[in-house]
Amino acid sequence: MIKESSIEQFKQIVGKDNVLTSKESLKSYSYDGTTSWIHEPDVVLFPTSTQEISAIMKIANAEKIPVTPRGGGTNVSGGSVPIEGGIVMCFTKMNKIIKIDKENLTATVEPGVVLMDLNMALAREGLFFPPDPQSFLGATMGGIIAENAGGPACVKYGVTKQYILGLEVVLANGDVVNLGGRTLKNVVGYDLMHIFISSEGTLGIISRAELKLNPLPKAKKTIMAVYADVAVAGESVYRVLENGVIPDKIEFLDNWVINRIEEMMPMGLPKDADAVLLFECDGIPESVEKEVEQIVEITKKHGAIDVRVAKDQAEADRYWLARRAGFAAVFGKAATVLAEDVTVPRNKMPDLIRKCKEVAKKYNLEITVLGHAGDGNLHPSILTDINNKEAYDRALKGLDEIIEATVELGGVLSGEHGIGLEKQKFFRRVIDPNVTNLMKGIKQLVDPNNIMNPGKIW
Amino acid sequence: MDNLKELSKIQQYAAQCMKCGFCSFFCPVYQEERTETSVARGKNYLVREILAGRQEFTKEMADIIGKCLLCKRCVVNCPSKTQIDRVVVGARAEMVNKKGLGFIKDFAFRKVMADRKKFGRYVKLAQKFQWMLPKTEGKIRHLPDFIKGLGKRNIPEIADRFLRDMVKEVNKPQDGKAPVMKIGFFSGCAMDFVAPETGLKIIDFLTKKGVEVVYPQDQNCCGAAIYFSGDFETGRKLAEENIKAFEKFDYVVTGCGTCSSTLKDYAKYLSENEDQQKRYDAFAKKVKDLTEFVVDVMKINLEELKLKKEFEGKTATWHDPCHLVRYQNIKDQPRAILKALKGLKFAEMPNADMCCGMGGSFSVYHYDLTKKIADKKMAGIKATNADIVVTACPGCIINLQDNVIRSKMPQKVYHFLELVE
Repeated sequence: MIKESSIEQFKQIVGKDNVLTSKESLKSYSYDGTTSWIHEPDVVLFPTSTQEISAIMKIANAEKIPVTPRGGGTNVSGGSVPIEGGIVMCFTKMNKIIKIDKENLTATVEPGVVLMDLNMALAREGLFFPPDPQSFLGATMGGIIAENAGGPACVKYGVTKQYILGLEVVLANGDVVNLGGRTLKNVVGYDLMHIFISSEGTLGIISRAELKLNPLPKAKKTIMAVYADVAVAGESVYRVLENGVIPDKIEFLDNWVINRIEEMMPMGLPKDADAVLLFECDGIPESVEKEVEQIVEITKKHGAIDVRVAKDQAEADRYWLARRAGFAAVFGKAATVLAEDVTVPRNKMPDLIRKCKEVAKKYNLEITVLGHAGDGNLHPSILTDINNKEAYDRALKGLDEIIEATVELGGVLSGEHGIGLEKQKFFRRVIDPNVTNLMKGIKQLVDPNNIMNPGKIW
Repeated sequence: MDNLKELSKIQQYAAQCMKCGFCSFFCPVYQEERTETSVARGKNYLVREILAGRQEFTKEMADIIGKCLLCKRCVVNCPSKTQIDRVVVGARAEMVNKKGLGFIKDFAFRKVMADRKKFGRYVKLAQKFQWMLPKTEGKIRHLPDFIKGLGKRNIPEIADRFLRDMVKEVNKPQDGKAPVMKIGFFSGCAMDFVAPETGLKIIDFLTKKGVEVVYPQDQNCCGAAIYFSGDFETGRKLAEENIKAFEKFDYVVTGCGTCSSTLKDYAKYLSENEDQQKRYDAFAKKVKDLTEFVVDVMKINLEELKLKKEFEGKTATWHDPCHLVRYQNIKDQPRAILKALKGLKFAEMPNADMCCGMGGSFSVYHYDLTKKIADKKMAGIKATNADIVVTACPGCIINLQDNVIRSKMPQKVYHFLELVE
């Protein structure tokens, strides 16, 4: 419990309207986008400046109150769930786009800016922020950076860490540090900035960020390739890339997902297909046309049974809407969903998909696969029910095998969601203890009282 | 669960939310407040907590559930298609069961609005005293600051004579020929008390087109403010009266977008048994909003519609009432009408389908939020450089007019049929 006097101090810092303590409010900050992680904070604070964050941190550090930073709460790792109570520091009201610098292709933002709002403002200037986590309608920049988020466009553009030039960070003791800068090149001492990217809020609070931007591509085209065999689809991905075509997105839907989407909103996906790949090419119009031709040719050559090029933006939008609906399709069909985020080297994807199918058979499970095929990042989801012990145990065993297979194939536990609470137990199993100890050492140095988002990652 | 009659009916909808949080982007209330209890995901989670027996019907819970415009932007954009409108209304109904309506709503809904004649008498009484309110311009008066609860706003004057007192029960086609169609006209409260001239205009328009328009005097309020606030009992009383009043008609036509959607939705919210469900469903099929009646049922050749002289050369923009665009998927019909009017220019506003912030009684309790939400609407209107704003819901008209005046903008707000000769 937090002392009444601390709560009073918080009210003086952020104003009483920005301090929530009612039972109803605490409940509504007890969850994120996961199904099973719930824990209430003792207080929710809405700072709107670096000074306010710093003042709060000084009190929290002195009183050893846990602080869990939170933005839109769209994350799917349990990362923003205040598992040890204390303060939820919510940034949804600290959401100004401070500057868009067209000449340098950069933007300066506060942590609570929602990615969609940012990209709408950038589009007016002919710019965009390329990393595209699919929670862009609610995800905030602070969280996107702290989780090092990525999305479909990673194939061509990479993930968040490649688009951060500088960060202002408030440390656990309230000190404010500026890391990185505003330049593309920067080799001045240790690259400390990147330790905070993907730190999942365990090291400090990102209070401002300097982003690298790209000009908006002039043209975009979408291609849908249909396959009778999931593994053949997996092969098409690296065949396209090895032939020198880099689409900005290559997304993958399996038969189960295709059919659920068609039930929810019929949009003409081939229901009998074993798998579908969605490609998007972007760039200058002439090169997009050329790339589309090549993709059609290569996918046909390597086993696609049908290849459709979207005639217009409306048709393309339909396909991408279907892709985005994929997760909803999965979550709407089971009481509990174990949604994984495993990532393997691209050419191992057919092996991983085959493994998922085997596991489904072996443990009598419903396992669906969708994901960002272009970068080997798949989201196998096991449909189960946490209240049915026997079924849930089978699901956990199946999950174990998928994770083990991923590591054997040279892959990693999480491509973009982060560890948080959801993947802790696998983290412990697969990460070299020496590496974990290095991480813990850094944590001890930066946050000796362990108040920053405690209980996460390891 | 046994003692949560209304909530158990919406449990399946509440269970659908997968907590992705995408609703935050679409929620007008969240966009202003930016707190989790403002948005569908938070409200839905708390309803689930009530269902699980971990949350009481507290005063704060009532406030949270009350602070929703029911604009349905979250619903149409929800990846898992959670019908949060049903969850919110169901929770309000359970709240009414458990805690009652509260003095003001109890008096307003049950003692006044539910009784057609009494409602008229009260409004008449108010009409007699409205000279006390200073005039802003024309038929708009503003409520001075001393009526604290309502804040400073510009409301339309109550008409000297109500539609019900001016209109004949049976209005034959003007050409004297046999009617091409016979319809029942549902006026709605706003057209009855505040804008009877729009009601007369609609009847005139339809009878010119060969339709026999009957105005059943025993029709009542549609019940929107009442059952969306959770008073299902009074809602059912109104539903039964309206169904009876329009029993003999194939079509029930109204010029109010909220009324048409509310009449259609009796089946969704109010039915308690199969018989009711059947009758409410059958009634819903007869109800047509004027926009869809003109375009889809009468199939009027829109090219033949004539623009009134005073609108010649003006630019119009269309505001989508929530109850048309999302409750009834009516968006093309009114645009087709406006675009067909020769001499009128049409400019689409960027946020045409955004709620204006009215939300019925929402604006009474949360006028500050209403103003902030309306500010965005005003920015959209400004961006079009339109001379007039056109819509099809008297509620929106009242709120848009208030905010246009408050923002010192030159536009006037019209019901679409007012533009037609």
